[in-house]
Amino acid sequence: MTEPDNLHQRFDKVWRNLPGWGALAAVNHTSVGRRFMVTGGIFFLIGGLLAMLIRTQLALPDQDTLSPGLYSQMFTMHGTVMMFLFAIPILEGAAIYLIPKMIGARDLIFPRLSALGYYCYLFGGIIVLSSLLLGIAPDAGWFMYTPLSNAEFSPGPGSDFWLLGITFVEISAVSAGIELTVAILRSRTQGMTLSKMPIFCWYILVTALMIVFGFPPLILASILLELERAAGMPFFDVAAGGDPILWQHLFWLFGHPEVYIIFLPAAGMVSTILPVFTGRPLVGYRWIVMAVILTGFISFGLWAHHMFTVGIPQMAQAFFSMASMMVAIPTAIQIFAWLATIWTGRVVYSLPMLWIFGFLFIFVIGGLTGVMLAMVPFNWQVHDSHFVVAHLHYVLVGGMLFPLIGGLYYWLPHFSGRMPSERLGRWGFWLTFIGFNATFFLMHLTGLLGMPRRFYTYGEGAGWDWLNLLSSVGSFVIATGVAMIIIDVVLHFRFGRKAGSNPWNADTLEWATGTPPPMYNFASLPEIKSRHPLWNQPELLESIPAGEHGLTQIEHGRRETFGTDAITGKLKEVMLLPTNSWLPLITAAVLAVLCVSLLVRSYTVAMVAAAVAAVFLFRWSWENGGHPKAAPLGDKEPEEAPLQSRTTDGSGLWGMVITLLADGALYLALLFGWLYLWTVAPNWAVPDESPISLPMMALSGLLLTGATWWYSGAVKKLKAGNDSGLESRFWVATGTGAAHLALLAWITFASPLATTEYTHDAVLFVMLMFLIFHSSITVIATGLQALRVRFGYVSKKLPYEPVVLRPMWIFTLAIFWCSVASFLLLPIAWGPA
Amino acid sequence: MATMKKTLAAATVAASLMLLSGCSGPYSSLDPAGPAAGSVAALTWAMLIGALTIFIGLILLCWYAVRRNNEELSDAEAQRIQNRWILAGGIALPVVTITALLTFGIPIGHSLLPLPLQQGEGMRIDIKARQWFWEVSYPDTDIQAINEIHIPVDTPVDFHISSADVIHSFWSPRLGGKIDAIPGRTNVLRLEANQVGEYSGQCAEFCGGGHAVMGFTIIALSAEDFEAWLQQEGAETND
Amino acid sequence: MKTLRAHPLHLFSGLLIWAVYYVVLYGGQGAGCAIAPPPAEAGSSTWLNAVLLLHTLVFATLLLYLAWLAYRSTPAERGNARFLLRTSAALYLLAAVATLAIGLPSALLPPCV
Repeated sequence: MTEPDNLHQRFDKVWRNLPGWGALAAVNHTSVGRRFMVTGGIFFLIGGLLAMLIRTQLALPDQDTLSPGLYSQMFTMHGTVMMFLFAIPILEGAAIYLIPKMIGARDLIFPRLSALGYYCYLFGGIIVLSSLLLGIAPDAGWFMYTPLSNAEFSPGPGSDFWLLGITFVEISAVSAGIELTVAILRSRTQGMTLSKMPIFCWYILVTALMIVFGFPPLILASILLELERAAGMPFFDVAAGGDPILWQHLFWLFGHPEVYIIFLPAAGMVSTILPVFTGRPLVGYRWIVMAVILTGFISFGLWAHHMFTVGIPQMAQAFFSMASMMVAIPTAIQIFAWLATIWTGRVVYSLPMLWIFGFLFIFVIGGLTGVMLAMVPFNWQVHDSHFVVAHLHYVLVGGMLFPLIGGLYYWLPHFSGRMPSERLGRWGFWLTFIGFNATFFLMHLTGLLGMPRRFYTYGEGAGWDWLNLLSSVGSFVIATGVAMIIIDVVLHFRFGRKAGSNPWNADTLEWATGTPPPMYNFASLPEIKSRHPLWNQPELLESIPAGEHGLTQIEHGRRETFGTDAITGKLKEVMLLPTNSWLPLITAAVLAVLCVSLLVRSYTVAMVAAAVAAVFLFRWSWENGGHPKAAPLGDKEPEEAPLQSRTTDGSGLWGMVITLLADGALYLALLFGWLYLWTVAPNWAVPDESPISLPMMALSGLLLTGATWWYSGAVKKLKAGNDSGLESRFWVATGTGAAHLALLAWITFASPLATTEYTHDAVLFVMLMFLIFHSSITVIATGLQALRVRFGYVSKKLPYEPVVLRPMWIFTLAIFWCSVASFLLLPIAWGPA
Repeated sequence: MATMKKTLAAATVAASLMLLSGCSGPYSSLDPAGPAAGSVAALTWAMLIGALTIFIGLILLCWYAVRRNNEELSDAEAQRIQNRWILAGGIALPVVTITALLTFGIPIGHSLLPLPLQQGEGMRIDIKARQWFWEVSYPDTDIQAINEIHIPVDTPVDFHISSADVIHSFWSPRLGGKIDAIPGRTNVLRLEANQVGEYSGQCAEFCGGGHAVMGFTIIALSAEDFEAWLQQEGAETND
Repeated sequence: MKTLRAHPLHLFSGLLIWAVYYVVLYGGQGAGCAIAPPPAEAGSSTWLNAVLLLHTLVFATLLLYLAWLAYRSTPAERGNARFLLRTSAALYLLAAVATLAIGLPSALLPPCV
């Protein structure tokens, strides 16, 4: 047995999945990423099937293949499945699969979280789709505008399936966003400074942060609407002081960034693939980094361009119109950087390149119609017409699906170790490309000729007949194209010729793993010297599997990877990664029970399920640090750098901070809703006297302040190496926090809040529940820390975890006082509206 | 040669006729019958032609970039090319385009607003949207109608639009843009017809099962005919 | 003379400032129209337009200053610091441009119609 083989055996023993059904306990990013992508692919086919049904119905005028009700379910589900169950998850899956390999890490840094995210996605997707089989699918549009989606106008469970199921799925998006951010910042291989990061990582970093800020408004909106439907709290009901337009603001506050969340990773694939097939480094790396960051921010400033016809003052519309046009600048920068790369290099024709040319063609059209739509007067004409349908498919299919399939062909040898067939692949491309343009190019005209969206039928005299017929024919051509691609991919697993390592002569590290990759990616972790490691250090292809670089010890049986400095890529610590675990699957299953019990409105079961889920999550947090299943003191310590649980600036702290950013975004969305309703809602009503006792709130807040101060003090001492009396300090913080929590709970449930009559009181209730939720988690987690000190899992040699918890205390404190100021004091200062 | 030219000319004429007839239709925003729709249609054509020009330019550029015979470039040369391309195409091109669009777009948008009239008098019609029909009423009269709106020609009409249930959107493409009908709010849309005739309209915001059949008709009458209609309707309602 | 340290936060802070600017602009316009709406006849010469314009200029100046600071602090030798500061300078500059562009309508349009 050669030395590399021997090394492989030893690593594989530690890193492989459990056999048989045990594969369900896999947490490894390669397995999880593959599952995300396969599941996403299946959902894509389902969404595509729905699209074919829609096109069948619209092929001829006055058809009744589908009833109006069924047609509503079809287009609602088509949008929902494509957006939430296909586009976002499959890109997350690609990022989960690729990112650690590109940055030279062995796994993502919160592997159990990846697995939890996957199961939440899978179960949520199944729940949402089951409604389709039961014939009670959501039918108020994928945008769920109230009042149409509320209990009065959508009495069935359809809207509940959407609100609960999609929120469940979003857990996976947010957790992937957090995990990818921290992984990119903290687990790059040595020498990979920020400026040497593969460009794809920049795209994913910005996308992940956009998810962190973009999804919470929708999660909040879904919670509010579900509370309105299930508990009668009137957030969007004008009569009680709510406003249906608030839903639109919150929805599009998520919905527009979402478009770029889908586009950016795909554009990242273009920027990765193009240099490989032109044999020249990407032109304008710095320009592109700048353009990506710019896109990320500006995309949050143009949500109201979906709302130009709701009657917003023209000046406000002009702000959003300007922002929408400005986003053309970073997009144009990228397009011209790509063109310049082609210009300066020599194009190698291949399947991935074909898809990228298709992308350029289609996406440019979509971008140009996008600029047109940003013109307010034009928008008033074509908004909600088929022109918009055409535009959005040009942007999303052109901007996401084409690069994705290009990426699929590019990385296919990496997944399988085999090459796809050129001939079938070309057929697939041309059929899809021609079919796509036939379907959607004409739709621009259909829209200009006045056909609104979401019509289940149309009359003969309207002048839309031949356009719709051609669009429908085109859609069937796309379907044959997709079928070709699927056949090609399936066949290649059997008949494709062997790929070997780095078949395209690419520059990025993921091709140094060998194809298909081993579970641990790299037997040794290299130090890289440039932005194109495999072009400038080709010897890595041999030296990595031969174990010539860092972190080759494996006798201790721990999964490990390097933790490095976020900016310089200098080695800081050795990260311990959890191994196979059933906890993610069990927790997700319990959460699925919670979701279903809320759907069928059996709240006792829901409460039990929530409690059980919490128990599993805390159990999960228990097996960390110095726990015997992790890395107890006395284990063999690594040579290169200290184990992460022995340090105080680990990935857990970073993960906590990023999580709190998402949390803060949710809180800001709530605050926005409160201020918005206060100033804009037509019938906003405020009770003469606040139903909440201010002195009691102040008392509760003082207790919380004391507990936070006390906890922070204990952590400061611990970081200074002093752990005497640590357990009792933590118990004091827990006790004081518990007193604060008890008082807060009493205020919430004893106050005379008329939550079903006044929007005002309903919002206050949600705010109080938000505070209670955070205080509870903080207090329980602190109690657990005290116990862990007793068991010896936390001490001055293991100071990692209390440091992680500190931002949580500070956040809880901050939102408490911010709430007192803006929900209780500001109204007093402002006076009755 | 001459016959070929003639055939070509005939083909061009036929094609443009087909294109133009393709643009007409009862709901066509490209077949305007009032000032609001007219200015937007002009804007539409201008933007379509501009977009097409940019698109063709980009495709040709890309095609040439792929095809051209290129020599090995040094890094410094590549850097220079890159900066030139990005500054010209990535920054200058969109900035110029956006500026041009705004120069035309902002005045057009402004002219569509229901601002107080400089001269003459407008008229007001109230519309209440319901699942799935439109209630029409004329303030200061008792006249009520369903899905049928009579207006005088060449007079700016302010439609005060609201909803009794879910969100709808009021859209008559040959006269102008759309505006949403929202419960609890009243939005104002100003439309004007230049010719006597019937103009179709429909609901543009998805509002449930009957969304596709929530149409209405705007009937533009000459000033005298409209007066006569008012008298007659008013008399009928009072009976 | 003040200089900036090369830190990735500069990549984000310019646009964060822009985001704050945007929120205040949109919120201020909404609140102004809710509390004391100027009449539609006044067109774009109202107190609210003036406040929003001033707000725009203050933020644009701040961002331009930061762009200049980042540009000036860029070291000559290639590497991480140069990459970060150069890119940050461009982003500050673009944030200033975005601020001016978005504030432009407050010079031209009536605020509450």
